[in-house]
Amino acid sequence: MTEVAQIPTWSGVAAALSLVLVAGLVCWRLQLGLTKELVIVAARAFAQLVAIGLLLGVIFEFGGLPAAFGWLAIMVVIGGQVAGRRAAGLPSSRKVATIGLAIAAAATIGLLLGLRIIETTPTVVIPVGGMVISGAMVATGLSLRGIRDSAAAARDQVEARLALGLSAETAFAAQRQGSVRGALLPAMDSTKVVGLIALPGAMTGLILAGTEPMEAIRYQIVVMYMLLAAPAIAAAVATRLAERSLFDEAHRLRRTTTAAASS
Amino acid sequence: MPEGKPVSAPLFAVNSVSLVSDGSPLLDRVDCWMPRGAVTALLGPSGAGKTLLLRLLNRFEEPDQGEILLDGMPLPELDVLALRRRVGLVGQRPVALTATVADEVRVGRSELGRSELMELLRVVRLAYLDPQRSTAGLSGGELQRLSLARALAVEPEVLLLDEPTSALDAEAATAVDEIIGSLADHGCAVVVVSHDLDRVRRLADHAVVLRAGRVVQQGPPESLSYLAEESGGTP
Repeated sequence: MTEVAQIPTWSGVAAALSLVLVAGLVCWRLQLGLTKELVIVAARAFAQLVAIGLLLGVIFEFGGLPAAFGWLAIMVVIGGQVAGRRAAGLPSSRKVATIGLAIAAAATIGLLLGLRIIETTPTVVIPVGGMVISGAMVATGLSLRGIRDSAAAARDQVEARLALGLSAETAFAAQRQGSVRGALLPAMDSTKVVGLIALPGAMTGLILAGTEPMEAIRYQIVVMYMLLAAPAIAAAVATRLAERSLFDEAHRLRRTTTAAASS
Repeated sequence: MPEGKPVSAPLFAVNSVSLVSDGSPLLDRVDCWMPRGAVTALLGPSGAGKTLLLRLLNRFEEPDQGEILLDGMPLPELDVLALRRRVGLVGQRPVALTATVADEVRVGRSELGRSELMELLRVVRLAYLDPQRSTAGLSGGELQRLSLARALAVEPEVLLLDEPTSALDAEAATAVDEIIGSLADHGCAVVVVSHDLDRVRRLADHAVVLRAGRVVQQGPPESLSYLAEESGGTP
């Protein structure tokens, strides 16, 4: 086993604050108008991480697995809200995003735990689950936004297909494929360059904790594969569910208050 | 005023249909009919409700009141996908849905054979196109005629056309008119929204005149005072 890295002390953290000052100086000197926001995000990150650190400490110490899975459930709900907001104007976007995330998280984490690929302990379930859910959240938001925008932009094409007696599902297939495809590209791209541009998070953490590189990469490979599956499942499920709300029972494309309503 | 009544059961019977949006009536107790195997024109100024009436016929819209019968059957009692295969619709702006001419004609009927495909291209006067040609380089007129072939491929009994020539030049419009005429000759009824009175006189066997969401006249085009007024200048 390689040597365990020295963890920064609180005074070390305080000293690192000088890096925020450097960034602030850059913002101020270049008149970027970001100085105030920089201070806020730095303070916010500090507060959030301290709170999470305390909470995780409590869960690891006293909560056990039920608390860990409860924690994941909360992450799914928050992730669903964030992803759903990306597609504001799409009927029940937050609900379908949450369902998509829940199914993706249950399937991927369930598989990893079921096959005993990862350990069933809170110290594993929470960080691994967090990676799954945040990866799936990004893809879900992108795919929902994609179908919202394409339902508005490709209305003529979709209606031309419906007019031929095609079902809503068939008539919307091209738009669905385009949206899910677009949502999965970021995960594919980051898989493509893994290790080349930056050492990925799980591997970095393990190496910092003193794990041998060849062991650390095994974990990372599992994580990367998981990060291909979870976004695919979440985006596919959420898109399929959202699509139902775009059409009515007579296979008509509803007029939603879509079209670039949100950022 | 002649209120031409159908001699036999009409293809479409629109009975007291109203449609309201945000409190204002878009269609107000519309009563009209469309004969089978013939060309019906929906006429009237912009905003009269012509396109809306057309879209009610294939259930792209739903009336708030009243009912529409196809062959005596209320539309909601028919399977909606089967209904749309019987009642085709081609919109105002032609859109390509696929990459090649052949794929385009086959969107609604993938099993369409080559000889049927060539026959459809001939019907819409596009026989000179290579079926493998890209749809990207087609002119507006060619694309509109290809949309007609795509709609005809599913063998509809009726074709609904929403101002099919509004985006075309005179030559391309004439080609579409000739196709409309030949469809009716082959027993496919056509309901066409049009602004062009000359075209309506030339093409239509039956006309329905709408104004502000109400039917003001219907019957054979030559019998309608609306056509005389609009094309003859102020009397």
